[in-house]
Amino acid sequence: MADLPRRSALARLIAAPEFGPFVLLIVELAVFWSINHNFLSPLNISNTLAFTVELGLIALAMTLLMTSGEFDLSVGSVFGLTPVLMWTLFNSGATSLGVGFALALAVAAVVGIVNGVFVTRLRIPSFLVTLGMLLVVRGTALYITNGFPQRTWNAGGHGLARVLVGTFQIGDFRVYASLFWFIGASIVLGYVLTETKAGNWILASGGNASAASARGVKVARTKMYLFVLSAMMSGFAGVISSIRTSAANPNSGTGYELEVIAMVVIGGTALTGGRGTIIGTVLGIFILRVMRNGIVLIGVPGLAYNIFVGAIILGMMVLHYGLEHRHREGA
Amino acid sequence: MADELVRMEHITKFYGSVQALDDVTLTVNRGEIVGLLGDNGAGKSTLIKVLSGAVTATSGSIYVRGRKVSIRTTTDAIKLGIETIYQDSALVTQLSIARNLFLGRELITGPRFLNHLDQAAMNEVTGDLLKEVGITKDIPASTPISALSGGERQAVAIARAMHFDSDLIILDEPTNNLGVAETQGVLRFVRNARDSGHSCIFIAHNIHHVFQVVDRIVVLRRGRVVADHIDPHTTTIERVEQVITGAPDQEFVGSAPQPG
Repeated sequence: MADLPRRSALARLIAAPEFGPFVLLIVELAVFWSINHNFLSPLNISNTLAFTVELGLIALAMTLLMTSGEFDLSVGSVFGLTPVLMWTLFNSGATSLGVGFALALAVAAVVGIVNGVFVTRLRIPSFLVTLGMLLVVRGTALYITNGFPQRTWNAGGHGLARVLVGTFQIGDFRVYASLFWFIGASIVLGYVLTETKAGNWILASGGNASAASARGVKVARTKMYLFVLSAMMSGFAGVISSIRTSAANPNSGTGYELEVIAMVVIGGTALTGGRGTIIGTVLGIFILRVMRNGIVLIGVPGLAYNIFVGAIILGMMVLHYGLEHRHREGA
Repeated sequence: MADELVRMEHITKFYGSVQALDDVTLTVNRGEIVGLLGDNGAGKSTLIKVLSGAVTATSGSIYVRGRKVSIRTTTDAIKLGIETIYQDSALVTQLSIARNLFLGRELITGPRFLNHLDQAAMNEVTGDLLKEVGITKDIPASTPISALSGGERQAVAIARAMHFDSDLIILDEPTNNLGVAETQGVLRFVRNARDSGHSCIFIAHNIHHVFQVVDRIVVLRRGRVVADHIDPHTTTIERVEQVITGAPDQEFVGSAPQPG
């Protein structure tokens, strides 16, 4: 027992929870590329990245929340509601785009606070709380729009649009500013989780909440912040997506919650909390998005996509379960 | 010479109409290991829970270092220097030894707002503490708790209590489910804690383990103290077993060592 660090660097690398997802991503890339070389063309990479980072922003926040032992099913609905609110405010002439953006994000934050209060104060499982919130938020988006998409085209050239999704040409690659938001969020949240006191509290809250609070860790407050972070990141991603696609559809984001949770667990974060990895989540994000893109490119019917995603989730769960088991045994 | 650290006085506890504790008085002196014995349902756990803040007594008072205190939560107890170590439950198994030791009291380096963990410093202190508590094996401070044996986990919990100046360490069944060597290890950790000036309350089913480390034995039966100054050095195990199960025991009651 307890001889973990004496093993070779290679053995430790293989035992890391991120190793399985890393290998899987490499295999995926190699297989798709060998079947269709266009898969790694600058155009295809640029197109894939655009939407990937939007879902990715949500997955990063979800990683911290799940590490703390909770999860959030309302992210897809918030992704839909926030841009709808922003554009409704702007189109009605009530506010400028910037103020509308701030107000819409504030509403997202309130959704997170309500989630957090129900879970931490009333001790209702986050599954039920956020399932209810999913319906409330989606219903709100549909109600205020009468179910119709909001006009977005007069955003062109606006400063906010440039900051969030301005395009850059890097060599043959066309990238959106959102890529840098994603990279920045990965670095910041990865740092918070592994190197800071906040990260220690997040891990401890998910690992053993009663032991943590006995040591003075503010478990409820920690989870509260993470619910707010999750909701605000979803709203932020929704706004980015709506500007990029010039569409604020009250139905957008439907089903994203499950895809995001799948990305997080594929990366090695425990569904039950106490263990989380931002690097793993970044890998998980790419595994699922590359799969969706590659499957179409190599000619597998797009409708079969879910078969592969499901198989990947099941396969990765077996792998993570095995690692977890060995870990507990202290092997 | 005995310096009184904690005194629980006339503690009574009802769960609904069931009386778990009946006018219990217990003192623990500085640097003393008190063994708390009693059959199942005798009230040991309830008494300890009252002292550690997990339950509140129906009546009675608690004095710590001579001052009357109110212990309503486990955090209250920890602030007063009373730390209870339940097997397993007090540690976050996914986190490293060092992160567990400093949980809630993390060492920070760099700009204040970043709250950047000083992992090097925490690992170093942890290494020293593990030696101090008596772990002879070379276990890196970054090892997750899940990779430790039951005895080693007890050691980590004891080391944490020692480092954060818990004057009184309560060990609830620390030797349960442990092998012989592991048990000896835990008993050694307890002795080391005492030798560095900490007091302990040691609860165990196994009287032999209690006899090996404690300075004084207190026996509870059906919520009442039936003996509170048994000296393990001059009493036989058989005699203590009689006291626990209810044989005549008057000679042990009523003259606990007084402070001063």
